[in-house]
Amino acid sequence: MSHADRLPAPAAPAAPAAAMSAACAHCGLDVPASEQRTHATQQFCCRGCAQVYQLLHDWGFDGYYRLLERQGGRGVPAKVSGRKYAELDDPALLKIHAEPCGHDRLRLRLYLEGVHCAACVWLVEELPRAVDGLASVRLNLATHVAEVEWAPSAISLSRIAHALDTIGYTPHLAQDDRLEAARRHNDRALLIKAGVAFAAAMNIMFIHLALYAGELNDISPEFARFFRLMSLGLSLPVMLFSAQPFFRTAWAGLRQRVPHIDLPVALALLGAFGYSAYATLLGHGPVYFDSLAGLVALLLGARYLQQRAQRLALERTSVLRHVAFAEFARRLDAEGLATEVAVTSLIPGDKVEVRSGELLPGDGIVLHGNSQLDQAVLTGEATPLPVGPGDWVVAGATNLGARLVVQIRAVGPNSRVGGLLRLVDEAMRGRAPMVQFTDRISKAFVWGVLGLATALGVGVLLGSGGDVGLALQQVVALLVVTCPCALGLATPVTFTSALARAARAGIFLKNPESLELTRQVDTLLLDKTGTLTEGKLRLVATQGMPKALDLALALEAESAHPIALAFRRAQRTPLGSVHRLEAIREHPGQGIEGLVDGVHVAVGNEALLRTVGVAPTAAHQGQAEIWSAQGLSPLFIAVAGQVVAQAALGDPLRTDAKAALKALTNAGLTLHIVSGDHPAVVARVARELGLTSDHAHGGMTPEAKRTFVADLKAARTQLPHTGKLMMVGDGVNDAAALALADVGVAMQGGSGASVAAADVVLTRPGLMPLVELWRGSHRVMNVIHRNLAFSLIYNLAGAGLTIAGLVGPILAAALMPLSSLTVILSSVLGRTFQTSAAASRTSGGRSWP
Amino acid sequence: MAMIFILLPLAVLTAGVFLALFIWAVRTGQFDDLETPPVRILNDDADRPLPTGDVETRETIVVSTRDC
Repeated sequence: MSHADRLPAPAAPAAPAAAMSAACAHCGLDVPASEQRTHATQQFCCRGCAQVYQLLHDWGFDGYYRLLERQGGRGVPAKVSGRKYAELDDPALLKIHAEPCGHDRLRLRLYLEGVHCAACVWLVEELPRAVDGLASVRLNLATHVAEVEWAPSAISLSRIAHALDTIGYTPHLAQDDRLEAARRHNDRALLIKAGVAFAAAMNIMFIHLALYAGELNDISPEFARFFRLMSLGLSLPVMLFSAQPFFRTAWAGLRQRVPHIDLPVALALLGAFGYSAYATLLGHGPVYFDSLAGLVALLLGARYLQQRAQRLALERTSVLRHVAFAEFARRLDAEGLATEVAVTSLIPGDKVEVRSGELLPGDGIVLHGNSQLDQAVLTGEATPLPVGPGDWVVAGATNLGARLVVQIRAVGPNSRVGGLLRLVDEAMRGRAPMVQFTDRISKAFVWGVLGLATALGVGVLLGSGGDVGLALQQVVALLVVTCPCALGLATPVTFTSALARAARAGIFLKNPESLELTRQVDTLLLDKTGTLTEGKLRLVATQGMPKALDLALALEAESAHPIALAFRRAQRTPLGSVHRLEAIREHPGQGIEGLVDGVHVAVGNEALLRTVGVAPTAAHQGQAEIWSAQGLSPLFIAVAGQVVAQAALGDPLRTDAKAALKALTNAGLTLHIVSGDHPAVVARVARELGLTSDHAHGGMTPEAKRTFVADLKAARTQLPHTGKLMMVGDGVNDAAALALADVGVAMQGGSGASVAAADVVLTRPGLMPLVELWRGSHRVMNVIHRNLAFSLIYNLAGAGLTIAGLVGPILAAALMPLSSLTVILSSVLGRTFQTSAAASRTSGGRSWP
Repeated sequence: MAMIFILLPLAVLTAGVFLALFIWAVRTGQFDDLETPPVRILNDDADRPLPTGDVETRETIVVSTRDC
């Protein structure tokens, strides 16, 4: 690591050199002591940051740091994979994903990992200045999807992807393009319908204002007739174009014999329009064009907002989905040269190379190399699995150690992960459609209104001695006044504001129904690895000479081994002096040895002690056994041929786990831990969290987890008055259970499969967002109930006035916006979810995504 | 007052022109992303230095095989 020392000083704030704590010049985070360089103008927390900083300076993009500072933004550590992205140049792939736009131009959507603030937008969109052939980049800050336009004759897509990668944004092909395009199309269509309705409603209202004023001042009949005809003309596009969705859903509901909330709306629209048109042509009688146009405009507006909020949440989660899957493989040809290819083009028999930190692209057998695999997302085991030649490895596992060469035996649907994904699909397909709360209410509502209207019509007919015109007029007035405008607005508006607030609090809801279900949850199933714990190895206990730990740290400082990473994470103070390291040797699956300042130091497990010929004492072995029994991995530190210290590696609980679980238990929820890890480890975690052992279920395969959820659900249908079941997880092994549970919650940083299967996706680390979800669901449903009460009161009052014969078009026109306004205010002002500022204070766990 | 027979349709026609503009804006996707444009405008602050342009620096993309 050298270029930190020779960097010129651009506009970024210079970090105090070699202080006890320094901020990274790129991302602003504290620089770990092991990375601090004396006599350097800038300090960096990692290689990625240093590299990106240098590159941005070379390219003249220092403005990024100025923007970041001016806007008070916070950087995130840069992740540079250094990949070539050769698989993106596959013509077949380009044909599917890229669309031509103009002469020698292609357009394609890339999801960028690492986008976090406004300055990112600037940086990414300025990239064409530094990359010839790249025509333009447009980044969407909400979805982190960049639309890239380039000239294929001048530059290949792989070079563009590589350039994005080198400045810290890992590109992924944005998938589900067609679905998203369809959703975007729906959004636009609805917005146009709402726009037409609003434009017509505003104009009709002005015309009606003249009519109402004219009624008081004896308007001349030819003007009145002209105004009414204009209104009729303006309400035609509303009825024929904008109101289509109401008629369509009302009709569909009728055919399925489910009275939808749109049925009373459609009835009111038809009644009001039919009668008003008849009155206009006849020349006398009340007209309701203003009420009906306003009704359509308001309802469509609310629906548009809800649809949009939901689309954003879905787009965010759908792009998160494929990040955790292997997208490429390094296929080795006969000469042993690696080329990057798309995972889909792998066939059984291919040899692939898997480097440190990369995901295995398929199931297969290790041919060369010794390493350790992180299979936590697949099995729930926190401890890395040592593998060597001849071992069977599965797709989706992360290679933590040295390079492996694997012969692929199964890919895609035939692999273990493929099988698990099939389970998820089955569970998703088997889900019963949720009957919305408003649909249940609207059933009673429709019958009530229809009954009242009939009774009123018959009553007026009898009372007036057969005056059909008067009876019709009264019935239409009733339909208009009782039209469930507020009822139809209440739920979408509340959900829209709740979805937006939840998103800011790091909670993405794929469908609003899950809020209703969350409120009824009484049993919570939690995965362990990656959910209750961080899913990362850390140094959790040490024993022995502190000096020996220092030496171990010095030795591990230069290694990329998972144990070394755990050591570095634990390191709090800078190294006292620079150590001289010599003759470093890593023993895969065992540990590391070498000379530190001329003294032999070895750090590793018992096997390493045997390799280097050191015998541990009985006391040391005893301690190691205690740690092993607790599910921790014991390490020995030998200095000059003698074991002088010990350390234990484990996957500790998230910092907020205890507080979050306590809050949920206090709220009356029953908690279960369902984990694929060893039962002893699960039992220890349960004890630490204050759960009894019969609530800790270890050693569960993904299938067992699914069955556990299914059995629990089946048992509950027998009992009266039971709540719903919520499952929280992060791994592929949790995905089927997530899909099957009433509400599935995927943790922040969870695997793609869990994100796809869950109803709710957390984008903030830690378990506190889960508590916020539970509390928020209660507040949202309270607001919805309050709104329903408001709108029912308005409707009842309106119906009473109509029956008393007091309601004309003016009162109807005044009542509707008044009730709608009440409901909208009540929804927007309702405190539903804590926003990010408050939530971030309480969240714990990992400090960045 | 007979002017109203001309003025009112004229007003509605004008409204129609703006409505057509709105529909065009929606169709060309100008309402698809409401989050980035307000942020983009702030980015004019980044006192743009002239593009360095020299090919040498562009070619020195440092590639590491290790990330942080």
